[in-house]
Amino acid sequence: MTMEPEVVKKVAGIARLQLTETEITEFAKDLEEVLDYFSMLDEASGVEEYDFNPVKIQDVLREDSVGQDIDSELLTKRMDTYEEWVRGPKLV
Amino acid sequence: MDAAFFERLKTLNKRYVLFSELVDKGPDDHSYGFHFSAKDNLCTSNFQTRAGSRILEGYRPPFDATPVRRMREAGGFLLGKTNMDEFGFGTFSTNSAYGVPRNPFDTERSCGGSSGGAAAAACLLDGHVALGVSTGGSISCPASFCGVVGLTPTYGRVSRYGLVDYGNSLDKVGLLSRSSNALSKYFPIIAGPDPMDPTSCPQPQLNLGPVEIRSIAVPQEAMENIHPDVRTAFDRAIDTLRDSLSVSVEEVSIPSMKYALPAYYVLATSEASTNLARYCGMRFGAKGGDIALHFNDYFSRVRSANFGKEAKRRILLGTYSRMVGFRNRYYLKALAVRQTVIEDYGRVLKKHGMVATPTMPFVSPRFTDIERMKLIDMYRADFLTIPPNLAGLPHISVPCGYADSMPIGMQLVARHWDEAVLLSAAGSWESSFKYRFPEAIR
Repeated sequence: MTMEPEVVKKVAGIARLQLTETEITEFAKDLEEVLDYFSMLDEASGVEEYDFNPVKIQDVLREDSVGQDIDSELLTKRMDTYEEWVRGPKLV
Repeated sequence: MDAAFFERLKTLNKRYVLFSELVDKGPDDHSYGFHFSAKDNLCTSNFQTRAGSRILEGYRPPFDATPVRRMREAGGFLLGKTNMDEFGFGTFSTNSAYGVPRNPFDTERSCGGSSGGAAAAACLLDGHVALGVSTGGSISCPASFCGVVGLTPTYGRVSRYGLVDYGNSLDKVGLLSRSSNALSKYFPIIAGPDPMDPTSCPQPQLNLGPVEIRSIAVPQEAMENIHPDVRTAFDRAIDTLRDSLSVSVEEVSIPSMKYALPAYYVLATSEASTNLARYCGMRFGAKGGDIALHFNDYFSRVRSANFGKEAKRRILLGTYSRMVGFRNRYYLKALAVRQTVIEDYGRVLKKHGMVATPTMPFVSPRFTDIERMKLIDMYRADFLTIPPNLAGLPHISVPCGYADSMPIGMQLVARHWDEAVLLSAAGSWESSFKYRFPEAIR
């Protein structure tokens, strides 16, 4: 399959990656090569029922209880904070 | 663990680049029973946890991952964090922002990946046990290249709490050491349910002890594209199992093995691309600079500047595989293939105690050869370690021969939750095959 640079650019945008033109060209070639290999899956027979984990997982729920395992000061120590707020880039 | 030991350790680390961060000095008291290391994607409260990535530079977790905590509580002294491929993305530990570990048998060759530093530490430090992590072969491969024993448990056997995720449905924490004895001693410490990781909760109890193995299966699909030296060593190992240990051997077919590799890369990169979305310059590690920027630009800038090339490549692959229009073709098909692989192994393991293959198709390559390898050939190098990893089956790699003084590994795979079978078999194997090691420090 052919991987157009425009598609790589679009995928990179979704993944929040800014790529240089050189990177786009290189990754287009890489993705083409790997996706060609993935296409082998088209001929594989797969069962109808499958799971998202390789072993059976049960829902294990803990009792709801109020608690603070880790001091919030420690959690925010390396974040950009203002008073007790975490600061981040603008959303709108 | 006296002061001289730590001096020797520092010198050793300069030569082999085992650790991305090493303890400054030894403990003040003598209450520690053993030393261990943790792969750098396991959270540790007294070391940075960077998973080989620049994007986690400076991240010092406020807690220990459960396997680390359990080792400390059992009397272990944590020497440091071992070097690895960024987030586990690699077969040769060459994709790290913190140095490339050198093979203990030949410093011009790779330790294997992605737990390369862990395998080299297990090889070069006498009595050491290393915590490694495998997603698609990251314990078996370096164990094979560095000539040590590496145990990858059943998916869910060891808590993943505090592990920097690569692929949630594939990641397993395991151990590497010079002998199966050490693994039998330390594995029960890290195994077992942990309420902080629900996937570890429904597991059956671990009961280690001697287990009689009467037969093993060798899949014919695993014998293709193997280097002749590896094939010779593996055939000899099979002869030893048959003649000295009275195990019957049958060649079988596991047709789905062929599709395990593409299915694995689809699932692993899909999961990785979502897991790595959290690294955006706010909560962990590297920061993005100007918060006056729009969030899209801020996040994109920090991610682009700090992820390595292979991380970017796998994020792109995973994002593409999950996109509308490709989800059915790649992602859902890969899940179906994984189930087929599980069922195929299940059929074989109903009749046989274990499945045996070489661990890697060649001995550790030189760094100059790795530079010349094509991307797809690097991915294909994992074709023997990926099937049991994809299926969540426990497996162990043991040294089974040497070519040009470089070790060759044999991989044994058992049923889900049957780590006891593997450790027992490795113990028996060690009674008839003598491992070779470079000089270790004590």
